[in-house]
Amino acid sequence: MDLNSISDWLQASLRLAAPLMLTSLGAVYTERVGVVNIGMEGMMLAGALVAVAASFLTGNVAVAAICAMAVGGLLGVVHAYLTVSRRGSQLISGAAINFLALGATNFAYARLFATERARVATYPVLSPPGLRSVPFFGPVIFAQPVIVWIALILPFVFAWVLYRTSWGLNIRAVGEHPQAVASAGLSVFRLKYVGVILSGVFAGLGGSALSLAELGYFAPAMTGGRAFVVLAANVVGNWNPIVVAAACVLFGAADAMQLRFQTLGSVIPYQFPLMVPYLLTIAALAGLVGRTAVPKTLGKPYDPETI
Amino acid sequence: MRRGGEIAVRMVGITKRFPGTLACNNITFEVRAGEVHGLLGENGAGKTTLMNILYGLHQPDSGEIYVNGREARIASARAAVDLGIGMVHQHFMLVDNLSVLENVILGLPLKRPPLLDLDSAHARFKELTTEYGLDLDPSTPVWQLAVGDQQWLEILKLLFRDARILILDEPTSVLAPSQAERLFESMRRLADEGRSTVFISHKLREMKEVADRVTVLRDGHVVGTVDPGETSPTELARMMVGRDVFLDRRPRAPSESKRAVLEINGLSCQDDRGVPALRDLSLTVHAGEIVGVAGVAGNGQLELAECIAGLRRPTEGTVRINEELITGVTRDPSLLGYIPEDRRKTGLVLDLTLEENLIIKTFDSPPLARRGILQWNSIGNRANALIQDYDIKTPHRTIPLRHLSGGHQQRVVVARELHGKPALLVASQPTRGLDVASVEAVHNMLLHERNRGAAVLFISAELSEVLAVSDRIVVFFRGEIMGELNAETPDINLIGEMMLGHRERAQAAVGGST
Amino acid sequence: MKERESIELPRLGGLVLSGARPILAVILALLVSAGLIWAAGGNPVEAYAALLDGSFGSAAALANTGVRAAPLLLAGFAVGLGFKAGLWNIGGEGQIYLGAATATAVGIIPLPVPGWLHLLLAVMAGFAGGALWALVPAYLRAYRGVNEVCTTLMLNYVAAYFVSWLLHEPTLLAEEGAFYPMSPPILPSAHLPILVKGTSLHAGLILAVVIGVVLYFVLRHTPFGFRTRMVGLNPEAARYAGVGVARHIFLVFLVCGGLGGLAGAGEVLGLKLRLFDFFASGVGYEGLALAILANGNPLGIVVGGVFFGSLKAGASKMQIVTGIEASMALVIQALTVLFVIAIGFGERVRLTRQQQEKSRAEEGAAHGPELHQ
Repeated sequence: MDLNSISDWLQASLRLAAPLMLTSLGAVYTERVGVVNIGMEGMMLAGALVAVAASFLTGNVAVAAICAMAVGGLLGVVHAYLTVSRRGSQLISGAAINFLALGATNFAYARLFATERARVATYPVLSPPGLRSVPFFGPVIFAQPVIVWIALILPFVFAWVLYRTSWGLNIRAVGEHPQAVASAGLSVFRLKYVGVILSGVFAGLGGSALSLAELGYFAPAMTGGRAFVVLAANVVGNWNPIVVAAACVLFGAADAMQLRFQTLGSVIPYQFPLMVPYLLTIAALAGLVGRTAVPKTLGKPYDPETI
Repeated sequence: MRRGGEIAVRMVGITKRFPGTLACNNITFEVRAGEVHGLLGENGAGKTTLMNILYGLHQPDSGEIYVNGREARIASARAAVDLGIGMVHQHFMLVDNLSVLENVILGLPLKRPPLLDLDSAHARFKELTTEYGLDLDPSTPVWQLAVGDQQWLEILKLLFRDARILILDEPTSVLAPSQAERLFESMRRLADEGRSTVFISHKLREMKEVADRVTVLRDGHVVGTVDPGETSPTELARMMVGRDVFLDRRPRAPSESKRAVLEINGLSCQDDRGVPALRDLSLTVHAGEIVGVAGVAGNGQLELAECIAGLRRPTEGTVRINEELITGVTRDPSLLGYIPEDRRKTGLVLDLTLEENLIIKTFDSPPLARRGILQWNSIGNRANALIQDYDIKTPHRTIPLRHLSGGHQQRVVVARELHGKPALLVASQPTRGLDVASVEAVHNMLLHERNRGAAVLFISAELSEVLAVSDRIVVFFRGEIMGELNAETPDINLIGEMMLGHRERAQAAVGGST
Repeated sequence: MKERESIELPRLGGLVLSGARPILAVILALLVSAGLIWAAGGNPVEAYAALLDGSFGSAAALANTGVRAAPLLLAGFAVGLGFKAGLWNIGGEGQIYLGAATATAVGIIPLPVPGWLHLLLAVMAGFAGGALWALVPAYLRAYRGVNEVCTTLMLNYVAAYFVSWLLHEPTLLAEEGAFYPMSPPILPSAHLPILVKGTSLHAGLILAVVIGVVLYFVLRHTPFGFRTRMVGLNPEAARYAGVGVARHIFLVFLVCGGLGGLAGAGEVLGLKLRLFDFFASGVGYEGLALAILANGNPLGIVVGGVFFGSLKAGASKMQIVTGIEASMALVIQALTVLFVIAIGFGERVRLTRQQQEKSRAEEGAAHGPELHQ
């Protein structure tokens, strides 16, 4: 393995990590407010399709991104309504949203793209001239599609919001002790709704990163379980946006590695690096890697009468 | 009766209904500036509901509230806080994973939105802690704080918002006596500053100690407002309960057994937090006698009952019932009947049916199960018999237990535990939450078992019933037995001293009286 | 506080209510999907007619429905049993993969035993494989209090990749030279017998139904089932009653895993007759939905499973006849579940609120006057 191939691998890692990192932005917030969202897989998938469709129709990537975020947000509203207002099972709602997205995207894909496989506009590569030629790091960071840049910067923004604003404080509190938040005069429902909708919006954006970052096409079920990797990253990253994003980069690197294993052949079967995120999560939950800060009411519906 | 400035809060004609209960019945209540006003009553009398209404958590069905002379519509907690009202609930409203300071500022309106203004909050925090002589580090995560400190934090939250009217709901239930003293001092000090405190409690002694005026609630209505300095405890108790509180001693034939059924030797164990709960305890209960365990709840009584039932492993010492060493949960119905302290949480499965609850210990042996199959016929017959014997009111034995009233749920527990005619009966706070008739039924049951020849260990925080029912009394304090007395001719003062842990004074009293 | 002795909610009323909600949800889902079909340029009535025809319209259709329903039932039981014990077994998907793999491992080896024994061994291997996969989450939950939702969820993907690896290694389960990763064919002696000649309906359905009946019986009529229900409803009271709660949870969890394994074994030994890479396609999660919506009740799971199975069976007919893609069936399925959640939990919520008021009122009268404090 020479420096060039390592550099290639790192570049691929960031690119593959981008959908994960973007999705993780919202994932941290929804779990912080106490709502599990396994439906992010469906939200990502829907975002991926809508992004391609919008790019095909308008040729404008920014519009495509916004549409992806919108459809993700819409599914987020559904999940929020069912889990927060109706106090339904968060797992079932998420699973059903996944089925819905799978069925709907397959249906739409067959209709829209069966005949034409036109290439659509993809996220432009952002490459400031001088920086690109920096040895080793140049190509890794400075030759990526713009969406990767966004994915690298936003975790810091989200972390700042979470830890340095009063709204972020409320978010951190409501998943731990919603009654205390209510007693302080704040609206628990509103906080939970926003957290869940954010997870939908950014899962949608993450989906767009999947379909529009380089490839410019949609394939059925192309998310392949990535949202669950994000859930794993939440645990490993202890619900801190920056650490979670770093975990996503780690998992992206594992993904890039397994692709190389597949093409170049190796001693380690390529499936094994793919297992890493999940095994790491179990180890974290079993307490093998330090204390986890699971939001206390994660998964439990909030009953306003319990004061 | 010292103070009383202007009327700070006036609640007039407050009525509040919940499904099936009338929590507040036309209550009129007022608090003056600069006073400590006690709100006294049995739990369920409506005190917390009334204050929840004042704090905006519930809306009254009718009635008005006036704050500082002006009519106020308190539609939410935020509205209450804006009016200068603050409340410390029985269950703390603290977020464990956040720091002390973050908890204090949660929900505060912002000076520089959207930023968290920790610096100026920090400064004000330091001001307040210095002023009130508190030792709290603002950056400590709340889960690390001791319970007493957590309560101070709750009060600090109110002061931070310059609350002029503070409501404290049963604040001393989590405090040791010395901590309670400090709390009372601060309450007096707050009163000197012109703030009002409403102090909800069911403890008469505390009312006498700190309250300027006391309003007594019973069953949702006001019985009266009095000066605790000029009212006797008996009178206050009668106002609270509506009947004479001192129960008559139950007549009985003298207990003549000498056979030891329960033998506890040198028992030590820890509570759930790893703190020693029982220390080298020894106790014997004989057949045909009732030994009453008196003492403030939380001094190891729960752990004692659990060790006897085999639910808690002792660190040292032994428990024997009929000479059998207890090493795990005892399921033999002829050996032990255990009525646990919290029947809803521990003693019953509310979502199972009545007949199912009667068999939770005996379901896997004949005649209730044969060859691995439950015999619903036998189970049903047994249930019907017990329903009859114990007069359990229910349309049918297959009703989910959840639908029965508290008193009848308790009867199910009693029926189940006594059915096997156990040699030892342990009853832990068996009358908690029951109405007068059910309490009487429980006392009758205890005596009946004693007369049958069972050994009875009766644990209760209500001294009056311990006195009325037991043959012998032991007094618990911090996991040790302070002393033992004959219940026929009890020395109340002595018991009181022992309950407060004053062994020396107790011994002096004994020494002095002989 | 005065005591009340009223009994709310007559039992019959409750039963009718709980049956009506899912039906309403199905109707709503069908209405919304009809709208989608129409928007896509199709004729909803035609599409639904084809759907019905393909699922119930002929013996072949019924057989198809049965085939599709069989793994759903078992997956549902794998979750439902756990639910009764207070467990959330989200790992059905992974248990299906492992059960399929172990059943395949036994099924492709020519064993010197009579046919029925070969089949039996393969089925048992399937059960064992699923149970094995549940071992770690079961241990962590029973003895370490680690929440099983995440651990089982994560293992789903580990299982998929693990089995995929097995299917790439010729020394393990891979068939050499195949165009798609798959195992060698299951030997005929290990096939589940076909129930109706000319169809693909195999005995896996019988197995599923029998297990459903057994589960119902065990839960209602045996000490083991009673213990399970106690632990699920109030583990503290169960402990008080002398039940070894941790051990019981562990055992039940393993059985749940085994049931998931059977779902996978059934697919491989009855329908696909080979192990294919990534064959599970969400059955585990559908089973999850069935179980929770039926509240763990085996009968409810059967009804729901047949419904879902009929949608899948009818979908291909719908595509052939009307050109509406089969993926629309998945949409209908998903909408049904979403509507059930939207409608269905209202009743329970209202009831619990009443209960809470009542219990708070009672919890209230905890103390009388304490004179000598």
